[in-house]
Amino acid sequence: MVDDLAFLFDKYNVVAAFWVTVQLAVLSAIGSLIWGTALAAMRVSPVPIMRGFAAVYINAVRNTPLTVILVGSSLGLWQTLGVTLAGERATEVNFRLAILGLVAYTSCFVCESLRSGINTVHVGQAEAARALGLNFGQVLGRIVLPQAFRSVIGPLASVLIALTKNTTIAAAISVAEAAALMKTMVENEAHLLFLVTVIFAFGFVFLTLPTGLILGWVSKKVAVKR
Amino acid sequence: MRIGRVLRTSAVVAAASLALAACGDDGGNGGEAGGEEGGVAEKSCEGGGDASVTIGTKFDQPGLGQKTPEGMDGFDIAVACYIAKQIHGDDVNVEWKEAPSAERENLLERGDVDMVVATYTINDERKQKIDFAGPYLLAHQDLLVRADYEEIKSEEDLKDASLKLCSVTGSTSAQNVKDDFAPNADLVEYGGYSECMTGLQNEAVDAVTTDNSILAGFASAEQYKDKFKLMNFNLSDEPYGVGIKKGETELRDQINAAIEKMVADGDWQKFFDTHLGPSGFKADTPTITEK
Amino acid sequence: MTVETSTAAMIKASEVNKFFGDLHVLKDINFEVPRGQVVVVLGPSGSGKSTLCRAINRLEPVNSGVIHVDGKELPKEGKALAALRADVGMVFQSFNLFAHKTIVDNVMLAPLKVRKQKKPEARESAMQLLERVGIADQSEKYPAQLSGGQQQRAAIARALAMRPKVMMFDEPTSALDPEMVQEVLDVMTNLAKEGMTMFVVTHEMGFARRAAHRVMFMADGEIVEDTTPDDFFTNPKSDRAKDFLSKILTH
Repeated sequence: MVDDLAFLFDKYNVVAAFWVTVQLAVLSAIGSLIWGTALAAMRVSPVPIMRGFAAVYINAVRNTPLTVILVGSSLGLWQTLGVTLAGERATEVNFRLAILGLVAYTSCFVCESLRSGINTVHVGQAEAARALGLNFGQVLGRIVLPQAFRSVIGPLASVLIALTKNTTIAAAISVAEAAALMKTMVENEAHLLFLVTVIFAFGFVFLTLPTGLILGWVSKKVAVKR
Repeated sequence: MRIGRVLRTSAVVAAASLALAACGDDGGNGGEAGGEEGGVAEKSCEGGGDASVTIGTKFDQPGLGQKTPEGMDGFDIAVACYIAKQIHGDDVNVEWKEAPSAERENLLERGDVDMVVATYTINDERKQKIDFAGPYLLAHQDLLVRADYEEIKSEEDLKDASLKLCSVTGSTSAQNVKDDFAPNADLVEYGGYSECMTGLQNEAVDAVTTDNSILAGFASAEQYKDKFKLMNFNLSDEPYGVGIKKGETELRDQINAAIEKMVADGDWQKFFDTHLGPSGFKADTPTITEK
Repeated sequence: MTVETSTAAMIKASEVNKFFGDLHVLKDINFEVPRGQVVVVLGPSGSGKSTLCRAINRLEPVNSGVIHVDGKELPKEGKALAALRADVGMVFQSFNLFAHKTIVDNVMLAPLKVRKQKKPEARESAMQLLERVGIADQSEKYPAQLSGGQQQRAAIARALAMRPKVMMFDEPTSALDPEMVQEVLDVMTNLAKEGMTMFVVTHEMGFARRAAHRVMFMADGEIVEDTTPDDFFTNPKSDRAKDFLSKILTH
């Protein structure tokens, strides 16, 4: 068992593959938080066309399988329409498209978490802010969203953990992350199938467990007292 | 033209996604495959006899092993059928079971299948766990390019860094590209060859690379006819064998005898021409090595 | 500019009507509040007095009629409305201090973000205001750490930080424990003495007698009486006012 482990780690660069997973997850998380917040702002905005756009976007993207979104980005955007996101090598293009797809998808869940957080913020908070002369953006950005974020850190942690695991789907469009290496290892070392599976299962737990624990702690730390 | 492309791409996206989703399924539940009434030649080996044999094969490999609404179809299927009939008689009842690449050894070890005929390359790592009979086909890694493509003329041209190659994630072919003959190439790895084929059509990639038998299977398909050509490079040797449980020497000898008879009868050539021939793919008749 | 507008009433409502569905909550409201006047609005619950208070800075939009603040018609929305609100201080029944900010940050926020004041300057005037309402020592705490009376005084300081032309109070003591009511009323009384224009919806009769120049009595969405506090309390003319006062004063 130990020999087999040493053999696998020696022959394959497991750490490098997980590093790509981490890059995908972190960059997509940042993008999703930004775009998800923008979507949430649109959903509560007073402008009907923005509310409509956000609602249609979320219902369309959230209900599409991620695989379809990612494969669609690569085959549709890149191969058919020639969108490269300034990437030169195909691998670069697909890495960027994978982030684009993950952001497009995950931001829906960020938005919906945030929206439920916005609902927990007392309406008087926004009224007081408006009464002081703050504009819509300031009311949302200074008063409502900071409180909404604090109350949804728990659900957001779940979204980020799901995102981390969803990065494995990027293997389908040529991103050399953990799941892609796992496929290679399974192909070559079918006799160590169980051990390979354990390595990758453990790898993902190793990545996601601290996310949950740290964000749980942060959530307690910044909770808004009422 | 543009609309046609978009439609075609949409179809592949949907299909590829469904195929990926299907990976999550239990690979073993396809046992009743081909039970439907069908018009293909292989139908005859699912006929009424007492003797029954379970064969693991690919369900999603055009030209080799593919499950269609009309039943199982492909070169591997024809070969497996022939072998089963030679061993168990003409009225043998074959039960087809899906054998994804990663599960082939396990299926044999657990005894879930009696043999595996599924683009199964004979190599030493695999022989530690199972035995092979055959080979019944000597395949090579090759490139499939658009029919009018002239950029690559020899294997030397593969050293070019601007070359965009496409293969399946984690496959041996993809590893060979990276480790062996085209380490500088821009390699795209997708979940399946269908995605590579759209890339090839849309000129997003220059060539698809894997076993010539697999490429020939795709290129022989009705919708791709005359659009692509094989480069006929021998980038690796991929002798396809019949996988059996370790130690079953009697079965191995029976299979080897069946393969030799198939070649001698001319049935091997017939199967080959039907399923892989239309792409212009040529292969020599196999010589048994696993004795 | 001050010379120009000083002749106009600070608040002027003309033919204001407001419905909640079928319910007619404000019926043809007309009144003017001159600069420097302290108006107390009395009335039973559901008489529309809170709605009227909130309509004046358009937290509740009205269905018809016109409201002027300092000679300018209330804008429908956007920048102009925000600018008007900045000039109208508002104190709520439930304080509505920003729960995620310290007391001093609550007071500084709007001066920084709306008035674009510099931070040291905003902080200094915030601390002066907190001093004035008697909670300077609580400035670094969060709202939830303060008593109700302290929170309401902080809310008044927050509104004053914008140097408003008029202060609206929407039942500022109704959510307070009885022992905390006086500390808030004291702050309001001092404000009245300093000449602030005030529009106060309340149930505090003592405050009305002591600090108000004028009492408006509302019932069923109408202004039923509009007179001096002395006149109202000693000589109510309408039956509804008499009924209201008898219930209050027998308590």
